[in-house]
Amino acid sequence: MVRINYVQQALHLVIFLLLQIPFLYKLILFDVAFGFFYIGFVLFLPYGLNRSLAMLIAFAGGLIVDVFSNTPGMHASASILVAFAKDSWFGLTVGSSDDDVYLDWNELGVWGSVKYLLPLIFVHHFIIFTVENGGFNSFGFLLAKISYSALYSFTIVFGLSFLMAPKVRRI
Amino acid sequence: MQNLLNFLYRFRTFGLFLFLEGVCAWLIISYNNKQNAAFLNSSNSLVASINSFTNNTTDYFQLRKINERLVAENLLLRKELANATMGQVVLDTTSSDRYDLIKAKVINNSFRRSMNYMTLDAGLNDGVRPEMGVIAGDGLVGQVKSVSANYATVTSLLHRKLLVSSSISRTRTLCTVQWDGDSPLEAELKYVPRHIQIQQGDTVVTSGYNAIFPEGVMVGTISSFELEDNDVFYQAKIKLAVDFSSMDYVYLIKNKMIVEQDSLEAEVMEQ
Repeated sequence: MVRINYVQQALHLVIFLLLQIPFLYKLILFDVAFGFFYIGFVLFLPYGLNRSLAMLIAFAGGLIVDVFSNTPGMHASASILVAFAKDSWFGLTVGSSDDDVYLDWNELGVWGSVKYLLPLIFVHHFIIFTVENGGFNSFGFLLAKISYSALYSFTIVFGLSFLMAPKVRRI
Repeated sequence: MQNLLNFLYRFRTFGLFLFLEGVCAWLIISYNNKQNAAFLNSSNSLVASINSFTNNTTDYFQLRKINERLVAENLLLRKELANATMGQVVLDTTSSDRYDLIKAKVINNSFRRSMNYMTLDAGLNDGVRPEMGVIAGDGLVGQVKSVSANYATVTSLLHRKLLVSSSISRTRTLCTVQWDGDSPLEAELKYVPRHIQIQQGDTVVTSGYNAIFPEGVMVGTISSFELEDNDVFYQAKIKLAVDFSSMDYVYLIKNKMIVEQDSLEAEVMEQ
């Protein structure tokens, strides 16, 4: 059973994807950390959504980013992989007792976010920077770029998802 | 047959995954061709107009700095003009009148990636064509990659696949400038043979041996070099003349003789 909160998905589209575009190559820390937080949009697509549909959405989202950064196919290919793997990865790392998982900050919590988001963001960034680099030459610098950027993007995605999480009534 | 269809149906998601990744791979590879249509990149008019809007917004806060740079450039040009007109007679109007400049504003620019591009707000309507050279007040910037009606995407000098035919102005040695992907302030100077005596601070300018850049456009100055005993060429670095972190206005070089020069060279190559 897929539960889709359309309002929240639209909010994710605006905050993650559309907000990213003016800041695509401007949010750079110390020359190595690039913030690609648009991937949050793909990561927070509803759990259990038809995987083909999720991949097509990720393809479209990645291609929008690509067009703005003059890299047709690069961001799209990494996003498709994340969309393909995300549900299985969620089941493997976080899992849930309920059948109807509602993928957002309230479900994940701090530790869940680290386990679910960080590795997928790392894989996503790994593909982007390796493809852009055209292979594994100057591997040290490449690895530094990937790792710092993944941590940086994770921090932004984590922060934004925390701010956007619906308030849960606490007892 | 039934089994085959069942098999295909069961793996349809994975099949779609492979298909989409294949499309992406094709896009990545085909973009590396030198010229391409202004569709999936920043010279696309919708994309460029969005970029132009964000650029206008951020520019507003830097007006003072941009003004100062333009005044400084103006001053430099006035000095050169004064030198150029002093007692010189133009002997050949065809060669002095060969290049025309088109001005353009940089509306998007990157300099920290391993392949850098910038977007200009001038396109086909302003006379911009693919492969034109791009310069700024202080030196060489790059080459036009693709053009739409009103915008153009430029391969920056900070792109590892852009080779610039240059020469060291003191010794007139032909060499090649190529960016190595590290610092946006420096590039590599290649193919300087070992019998040439080079010095730190030697200026490197374009050679003029192609139809894209005129002779003598500033590229940079030699910042460091070394020569191992068994090297044929120097390993040298130049400090780039242009500061790619702050680009606002650039000029595109229109060579009126490009068709004649290129067709002549192509004819010779075929023989």
